Amino acid sequence: MSEWFEEIDAERKNVVCSRVRLTRNWDEYVFPSRLDDGKAAEMIRRLCEGMKDIDGLLGLKYDVVDLSQLGELELRILREHRVLNSSIIKKKAPMAMLLSEDESVSLVLNGADHIRIQVLRAGLHMADAWKMANEADDYVGSRFSYAFDEKYGYLTSFPTNVGTGLRAAAIVHLPSLSLGKKFPLLVSDMARFGVLIRGICGEGRENYGALYEISNQKTMGQSEQEIVDMVSRVAAQLDDQENQVREMAMKTHRLVREDELYKSYGVLKYARRLSMKEAMSYLSQIMAGTADGLIRFSRPVSVPRLILGIQTANLQNLSDKPLDKDELDAARAEYLREELPQLC
Amino acid sequence: MLCERCKIREANIQYTEVFNGVKTDHHFCAQCARELDFGQYSSIFEGEFPFAEFLSALLGGETPSKRQEKYQQIVCPTCGTTYDEFVKNSCFGCADCYGVFDVLIHDNIKHIQGSDHHKGKIPAGRQADGEDAQQTADPSETGEQSVRSRIQLLERQLKDALRKEEYETAAWCRDQIRALKEGKENDV
Repeated sequence: MSEWFEEIDAERKNVVCSRVRLTRNWDEYVFPSRLDDGKAAEMIRRLCEGMKDIDGLLGLKYDVVDLSQLGELELRILREHRVLNSSIIKKKAPMAMLLSEDESVSLVLNGADHIRIQVLRAGLHMADAWKMANEADDYVGSRFSYAFDEKYGYLTSFPTNVGTGLRAAAIVHLPSLSLGKKFPLLVSDMARFGVLIRGICGEGRENYGALYEISNQKTMGQSEQEIVDMVSRVAAQLDDQENQVREMAMKTHRLVREDELYKSYGVLKYARRLSMKEAMSYLSQIMAGTADGLIRFSRPVSVPRLILGIQTANLQNLSDKPLDKDELDAARAEYLREELPQLC
Repeated sequence: MLCERCKIREANIQYTEVFNGVKTDHHFCAQCARELDFGQYSSIFEGEFPFAEFLSALLGGETPSKRQEKYQQIVCPTCGTTYDEFVKNSCFGCADCYGVFDVLIHDNIKHIQGSDHHKGKIPAGRQADGEDAQQTADPSETGEQSVRSRIQLLERQLKDALRKEEYETAAWCRDQIRALKEGKENDV
């Protein structure tokens, strides 16, 4: 079965993926921060036992993954695939996960909260992702009694998740829009709508590859549907605006764009060493070029898959030995040379 | 300048006394100042010189550390999380923490979330419970309403009491609310 990130949304080419997360707690246990290892292991066992018949949920097959048994590298790969977040991989307590074969649906047990349901979909399919997460939530909720309060809604470890416990996020690619002078203004404007936007690759103010994650800031006071619609609308809006800027650039500076794109292809296809920053910037050009039909390959290529491929943990994993920085850059270049198809 | 009392140590505290419109300046060292009686201000000369304490003593308020101490005493009986720990990690220990720290965190949650009431999905089981309760309560709706409004009133009183740090009143309100909630059906 192919993984979720292989697909590309033909309608919304600048939206890489949509994600919906639901945070839930079982009312029989205290929250994970106060749960001792013995109790945590017991809870995980009972949760897995209760969800034995999970195969078939959302038409998928699931594996039980004992996260505390996984090595650091395996955890980091799961993080690069956006299945786990960094706070979970640092945690030492017993943890498990029910993961669908295509990695699109995951239920993390005893992470920051007892149960974290996540659904990932390629492209802008927020409504779908919510529908799936909701179904998975009904499945879990019919087996275990959730910690719920009439006033505060679903109770969570962190007050930032309380209420719906829902976090909807979309990753959008904004190579042209983010170059504009007004972009910082747009970013701060988003906060007024209760939407957070942040760069996902790079440190500080740098964001290589122009990939941005947008998500809802608040989890209470709005219904799930309202939150999902809002994030979805903002993602669509950003996609439209990005397209407008690119169309304009195509009319006035087509040669410049093509030149940058083919130079990027040349570097990615033939370089012997590529840092993360270089690789991400050039892949960003390829992603925009394929979306606009400026470049054609001998076979279809998924840039999001290439982006996952060049991440540190994945390269370490492919090489079977620890790599230092120079070796890593060489491995990254080699990976891209092999994976990037010929032009046609 | 030397301390006017011991005339040995350097004077580092200036004390201005206004008596019957006559202003007199005194200069003392820290040790003599501690030994002298400055009425309600004496405490500021004891030990280190905490500025915040000094200010709040002058303004007639409670010192922040004392206030903090009172909050620190609030502990969630279910999981043992203290208010202090919650402030430090902004993380709750269990579902009951929300009820225990409600009055203290209510405003913060409203600030973070822009709302203090859940809207949206309700777990399937609870919904059914709610409907059942409503159906059974229908014939005596007025009684049900009066209980609910009493609870709301008590909750407001509880909040006030906690703000004023009248813990006995707060405890009484809490018990009343609990009794009303538990004995709802019996009362009706």
